[in-house]
Amino acid sequence: MRFISVRLLHSLFVLWAVVTLMFLMFRLMPGDPMAAYISEALSEESKRSIRAQFGLDRSLWEQYFIYLGNLIQGELGTSFFLKEPVWDIVMTALPNTLAMTFSALILAYLFGVIAGAFLAWRRGSLAEGISIPLVLATRAAPEFWVGMILLAVFAFSLGWFPSGGAASPGAMYDSEWQRMLSLDFLHHLALPVITLALYLQGLPLLLMRSTMLDVMQEEYITMARMKGLSTSRIVLHHAARNALLPVATAFALSLGQLVGGNVVIEMVFSWPGLGRILVQAVASSDYPLAQGAFLIVAFALISMNFFADMLYALLDPRVSHDRKS
Amino acid sequence: MHMNLGRRPFVTVSLLLAAALSAPSAALAQATGDKIRKIVLVSWPQGVNPQAFQASQMIAQQWRQLGLDVEVRSMPWPQHIQLVWNEREKWDTTMWRMVGRPERSDPDEVVFNNYHSTSAPTGFNFVGYINPEYDKVAEEQRQATDPEKRKVLVRQAQRLLDRDQPQMFIVHPTTLKAFNKDVWAEDSIVSQSGIGIRNFWTFIRANPKGAQKQMVLNSAEPVVAVSPMYIAGSASSWVTELVWDRLARVGPDGLPQNWAAERIDWINPTTVDVTIRAGMSWHDGKPVTVDDVIYSFEVPATSNKVPMYRSAVADIVKMDKTGDRKIRFTLKAPNAAFVTASFAKINLVPKHIWEPIMKDLMTKPENAESIPNPPAIGSGPFKMVRNRGQEEIVLDRFEGHFSAPKMERWVLRIVPNPEATLGMLRRNEINFLADYGGAPDVLEKLAKDVPQISIKSEVDIGFEYAAFNMRRAPFNDVNFRRALSMSMDRNALAQAAWNGYAVASNSHVSPALKFWHDGDITKIRTGLPVSREILEKAGYKMVGGKLHYPDGVKEMLPPN
Repeated sequence: MRFISVRLLHSLFVLWAVVTLMFLMFRLMPGDPMAAYISEALSEESKRSIRAQFGLDRSLWEQYFIYLGNLIQGELGTSFFLKEPVWDIVMTALPNTLAMTFSALILAYLFGVIAGAFLAWRRGSLAEGISIPLVLATRAAPEFWVGMILLAVFAFSLGWFPSGGAASPGAMYDSEWQRMLSLDFLHHLALPVITLALYLQGLPLLLMRSTMLDVMQEEYITMARMKGLSTSRIVLHHAARNALLPVATAFALSLGQLVGGNVVIEMVFSWPGLGRILVQAVASSDYPLAQGAFLIVAFALISMNFFADMLYALLDPRVSHDRKS
Repeated sequence: MHMNLGRRPFVTVSLLLAAALSAPSAALAQATGDKIRKIVLVSWPQGVNPQAFQASQMIAQQWRQLGLDVEVRSMPWPQHIQLVWNEREKWDTTMWRMVGRPERSDPDEVVFNNYHSTSAPTGFNFVGYINPEYDKVAEEQRQATDPEKRKVLVRQAQRLLDRDQPQMFIVHPTTLKAFNKDVWAEDSIVSQSGIGIRNFWTFIRANPKGAQKQMVLNSAEPVVAVSPMYIAGSASSWVTELVWDRLARVGPDGLPQNWAAERIDWINPTTVDVTIRAGMSWHDGKPVTVDDVIYSFEVPATSNKVPMYRSAVADIVKMDKTGDRKIRFTLKAPNAAFVTASFAKINLVPKHIWEPIMKDLMTKPENAESIPNPPAIGSGPFKMVRNRGQEEIVLDRFEGHFSAPKMERWVLRIVPNPEATLGMLRRNEINFLADYGGAPDVLEKLAKDVPQISIKSEVDIGFEYAAFNMRRAPFNDVNFRRALSMSMDRNALAQAAWNGYAVASNSHVSPALKFWHDGDITKIRTGLPVSREILEKAGYKMVGGKLHYPDGVKEMLPPN
C-alpha cells in the first residue's frame, strides 16, 4: 500500500511539474498569445474586455493559480483558432487516436512476444538469420515511407484498403460506438494500424528475444528439460512468462507515448486524430488547444508509467518487496 | 621626458597626416550617401508555399547583384500576418498573395481596397501607397456606371501602378483541378473565369452520369468555420456559399447575375429596387421574407460585430420595405461594383435564428467571428448534414431550392497528404479534385495514365507579389522600387518557381478578367542592366560593391 501511495505521489508531482512548465513555456514564447483570438476589427475597449475575460490583465501568479484551479475542475479553456472548448475538440479526435494506437500496440506486442520467444528458442537457425535483419529494417524505416509503400501497394494498386480517412465519404452512424465498431471503420483502420504495428513490433520482439535468451540459461529451464516437458510447455509456461516483465513495462510506456498521436501516420493516412490537432494548434499559435492536448498526452504518459510500475510489482513481487525492506 | 617631448610632435603630425589623407574619402562618403542597410524580404515557409519561397530566393539573389545585402526571412503565417498587418512600420519587403475569389471578379476590390489611401492605416493597402491621382481614378471607376468608361479608368489605374511600382507583381498562378468524367458529365462541369472548375456553378450543375450521385471532393486544410458572418479560409467559403443564398451571384463569365433576387432594377445611380424570388424557404422550413433580407444587410451595417462584411454594406444609406417581396436600397454615391461587392457577397440569414445570437453578442466584447459554427440554417441549394471540419463536411441537396443541384450529396474530405489525394482520385474515392498543392506534372501524368480523369486549368484572378513598404526608405523612392521590380524577369520566375503553371504579371487586374485587364501591361523591360540604369540616373552609387543612397542621404533606420 505504501508503495502505491509513494508512486501515486510521485506521479502527481511529475504532473504538477509538467503543468507548471507548460504554463510558463507558452507565456514565455514571443508574440501576443491572444493575437490569433482577438480580431483587429475590435475596438480597444473590446480587446481589453476579452483580455480581462481570459484573466490576462492579472499578474502571472494570479493567472497561474486560476489556471491550476480550472485544470482541477477539468476546464481546459477555449481554442483561440477553432473557438470551441478544448475538451470537446480533443475528445472528438481522441477515440480515433486510441483506436489506432491500441490496435497497433496490441498487434505489435502480440506478434513481438510470440516471434521474440520463437526466435530465442531457435537461436542460430535460418529463421533467426532472416528475421532479425528484417525486424531491424522495419524498425529503422521511416514510418511515412512504410505508410506510403503500403498505400501504394494495398490501396492504390490492389485496392484492398481505402486510401485515407476514418470512414467512407458521407457514412452516417447513430453513435460513436456504432461508428467505431462498423466494418467500414475497421477497413479504414487497417493500413494505419499495420504501418504503426510494423514500426512498433521491433522493440517487443528484440526485448523478448534477449530476455528469453537470458532466462533460458536459468537452471529451472534445464530442470524442465530434464523433466521431459514438451518444448511448447517449457517456452510458454516457464521461459516466456518470466521474460515478459520488461516487455510489459515497455507496453505500458509505449501506450502513454502513443496517446499523443502519431503525427506522421495521421498525416499519411488522413487519419483524424490528436496528432494532427496538435500540429495545427502549434502552427497556428493556438495555445489553449496545444496546452490542453499536451496536458492530456502528459497525463496519459504519467498514468501509464504508474500503471507499468504497478504491473511490474504485481508480476515481480521483489520490486515492491525490495522497496519495503 | 626627452622621449615624451620627441614623441608628441610625431604623433601630432601623424594624426594630421592621417586626417588629411582620409578627408577626401570622408567627404566622398558623405557625398555619396550612406550605404543602404540590409534589406529583409519576408517570405512564406518553403513547406507552405514552395513556389513563392523559391521565387523569393531568386528575387533576393537578383537584388544582391544590385549591391544590396538581402536576407530572406521565412516565418509562420500568424507571425507573418501580425508583422505585415499590425506592425506596418517594421518591415521592408514581403512576399504576399491575393487569392482568387468570385467576388474579386469585379476589379473594384483590388483597384479600390488594395491601393486607395483610405485603406492604408489598417486596411488592405498595407504597403502605404498614398497617391491622390490614383485615389481619384479608383473613386471614379467605382462610380462609373458605363462599363466602357469604367474600363478606361481601370486600365489607367493599372498604368499608374506600373509607373509607381508600390509592389512587384510576379505571377498570376494557373490553377489545376480535375474530376472523374465517368462520374460527372463533362459538359456539366462549369469553368468560371479566373476561378476554374471548383466553383458554385459546378456544384449545382454537375450532372451525375450513373448511379453515383455524390460528389466527393478534397481540401488539404481543415474547415475552421462555417458561418454566414465569417469566412476563415478558402474551403470555408466553398461551404458557406452553398448553404447560404445571396441576392446575386458572380456568374461563370465573371459578371454578376440575379440569384435570390428575381429582379434588380436601378431607379437611378443611387437607388436600386430588389424583388426577391417567391416561394423561397429556409432549411428549417420557414419562409424567406423581405425582413430577413433587410436584417441580413443591417447586421453588418449597424454594429461592429461583423467586421468581415462591413465594407460590403458601407455604401448603403437606408433600406425600405416597399412590398411583400420588394426592398429599395439607397446608396451614398453611385457604385458600379455594388451588385458584385454587396449583393453577391452578403449571405442571407434567417432573422429568427440570428436575432437572438446577435442580441447575446451585443452584451459581450466578442464579435461574430467568435462563433465559427453557428446553426447552419440558410436557404442555399445545399443543407448541412454533418460538420466535422477536421474530417469531413457533408451537405445534402435542398429539394425546395429554386435551383436545386443535380447531385444528391456534396462531401468535402480533409486530406492533408497530396500523394494520398491523387491515389484517392485514381481509385474514385474522391471524384473531384478541388485542392491540389503537389507538383502539377504529376497530376498531368496521372490524367494520361487514367483516362477517366479530366484536368482543367485556368489562370487565376489572384496574384503573387513582393510588396514594398513605402513607409520606409529607400522604398519611399519610386526609382528604387522600379529598379528592384525591373531586375526580375517574370516569365523566368513563372517557369522556374511555378514550373510554368503561372503567367507573368505586372498588374493587379488578372488577364483572367479579359475586359478589364490591360494586355500591354506586362510588356516591360527587365534585367539587371535596366535596374542599374534606373539607379544610376536616380543618383544611387556603388561603393565597394555595395549600393549607397544618393548624395547626402543618410540611413535613418536601424539595421535589420
